[in-house]
Amino acid sequence: MIKVLPRGAVPENRELLLLGACVLAIVLFAVSSPFFATADNAVTILRNSVELLLISLGMSLLLAMGGVDVSIGTVMGLAAFVIGRLLIATVDPVLAAIAGILAGAALGMVTGAVVVFGRIPAIVATLGLLGVYKAAIYLALGGAWLSGLPPTLTAMLQVRLVGVPIAVIVIALSYGAIWLAMRRTPFGLHLLAVGNSEEKARLQGVNTKLIQFSTFVISGTLAGVAAVFYIGTYRNVEMTIGSTLALDAIAAVVLGGTSILGGKCSLLGTVLGVLLLRILQNGLLLIGVPSLWQTVVTGALLIGVLSIEGLSGRLQLKFAGATQ
Amino acid sequence: MKDLIRTFATAAAIAAMGVGAAFAQDKPKVAFVPQIVGIPYFNAMEAGGKKAAADLGVDFIYSGPVDGNPVDQLQIVQNLIDQGVNALAVSVLDASAIAPVVEAAKAKGTKLFTSDSDAPDSGRLVYVAQATDEGLGNAIIDELVKRVGEDAKVGIVSGEATASNLNAWIGFMQKRAAAKYPKLKLLDPQYAGSTAQRAAQVSSDLMAANPDLKGIIAVASSTCPGVAQAIETAGKIGQITATGYCSPNTARAYLKSGAFGFTVLWDPAQLGYLTVWAGKQLIDGKPFEASNTIPGMTSPATYDATTGILLLGPPAIFTAENVDKYDF
Repeated sequence: MIKVLPRGAVPENRELLLLGACVLAIVLFAVSSPFFATADNAVTILRNSVELLLISLGMSLLLAMGGVDVSIGTVMGLAAFVIGRLLIATVDPVLAAIAGILAGAALGMVTGAVVVFGRIPAIVATLGLLGVYKAAIYLALGGAWLSGLPPTLTAMLQVRLVGVPIAVIVIALSYGAIWLAMRRTPFGLHLLAVGNSEEKARLQGVNTKLIQFSTFVISGTLAGVAAVFYIGTYRNVEMTIGSTLALDAIAAVVLGGTSILGGKCSLLGTVLGVLLLRILQNGLLLIGVPSLWQTVVTGALLIGVLSIEGLSGRLQLKFAGATQ
Repeated sequence: MKDLIRTFATAAAIAAMGVGAAFAQDKPKVAFVPQIVGIPYFNAMEAGGKKAAADLGVDFIYSGPVDGNPVDQLQIVQNLIDQGVNALAVSVLDASAIAPVVEAAKAKGTKLFTSDSDAPDSGRLVYVAQATDEGLGNAIIDELVKRVGEDAKVGIVSGEATASNLNAWIGFMQKRAAAKYPKLKLLDPQYAGSTAQRAAQVSSDLMAANPDLKGIIAVASSTCPGVAQAIETAGKIGQITATGYCSPNTARAYLKSGAFGFTVLWDPAQLGYLTVWAGKQLIDGKPFEASNTIPGMTSPATYDATTGILLLGPPAIFTAENVDKYDF
């Protein structure tokens, strides 16, 4: 029984594996800590996942396209700064939120333009931009954080539509829109084609530059949306804002089965990857493991999953060779 | 008559200007090089230094790197030595690289000393210290026990696990608790890195894991907003008292909301004042006493001759009541 995956297909095994891992982790933590399996704690885990989920959805597209954006956390930070400043100026929170999302989109355009039109590899270009954006945050803040921002946006985000928190709705809408674009429009096929081989995709008539540019814009826009929730939740813009988000997102996306080499994308896997990361971080603390070890566990998990993948990939090839 | 008065007035004014200029010539110059310019903390030090300069009759020069670059800082220090300032204080960025400029200062007769951040083995004349690790550790535990009682469970949220100053403070907190408040239960420190988001995440997890938690200590200033926000979001204001080493500007909203009971730090304006005073003492060749009562300072500065440390005094406690008096 050899299952050969067509190029660009979603590895469904991975999603089942992740779901299994989530369930296993939940059961283990629920048994070891009386405080884990409570409604309050579930809400805590979900609330702490919102920004990472939004950023990771964008990162999934970038990785699937053969790109990456290590500056995305600072993009969120700059968008958050815009929102924060507007809130201090007592601008209507709806307008502030829209301005933040637009700021994210604009920075996505900048990043996209540097990568696509500068013909610089995404990792190098975004590493450079990371430095620039960091400095921009620093200069914008002038060494003083925005702390204890007015709670107007927080109040706005506490609204529920038919009992569902607005964060869940926004994430579902973003997920749905990206899923449709990937599965029901040429955009998805073209994006995966670019991820497989930019050169081949171009020869087949795909407008590779447009695809790459628009993917960075989508990712930037999602970072802007994440900034809205960040400000709503934390009401703070610090110098180091978002500095761990890019790497967390890459970890979650790769855990989820999206290929770091491009050409493969799993949105559901990304969501499960984020949830698994957050469940582990929360549960390990609850059972009394110092938070220092959380990074070790997530790192080990990532290496473990990827080496299993590499190993099974080689086995599959061996079998394929033997049966031919 | 009018003309006579005018003439006299003009003459007096000219004389005063002449005297003033002569004074300016003779005024000793004290310089302070911060780690970075343009941030509220060092702005406050600059303001304190200016005030001391006016009180003590010295010229105060404030100049530092714009981006916290140690090489740029050394360059600025070297330039000031070349300009012939009489005393020069540095908040050292790279303690291992400062020895050459200390030599250069000696050769030129400039009194070089450190303030705010030290380079102990560099040959500096004195270190003007804001607080001791022990003083900071003790102050936070003592003040917290005053508010939550001795029989309490308290969480610690730190920044990077590698930060030696944060670890030293935590060490003294634990020592103080063990020595003075045996019933106080300090949980193992949790490390949240340097973002507010992780600090909030860790704090909410801590509260979930310990429903009987009475206090949270935010050790790294970057963790203050996250800790406060987690308490506000969980609706546990009043039930949990947070504190930490947070500047008044960072903690103001949280002190007023009640999420933070108090914060512990020092007043950089007083530190700037003490720095310029120390510079003047060095220029005048006056020794430091074991305890120095200085007009313009709220508490006496103590001097330890073996370590060469001039200490600002006990840490400052910021609360909802006094926080608006500070801007850094």
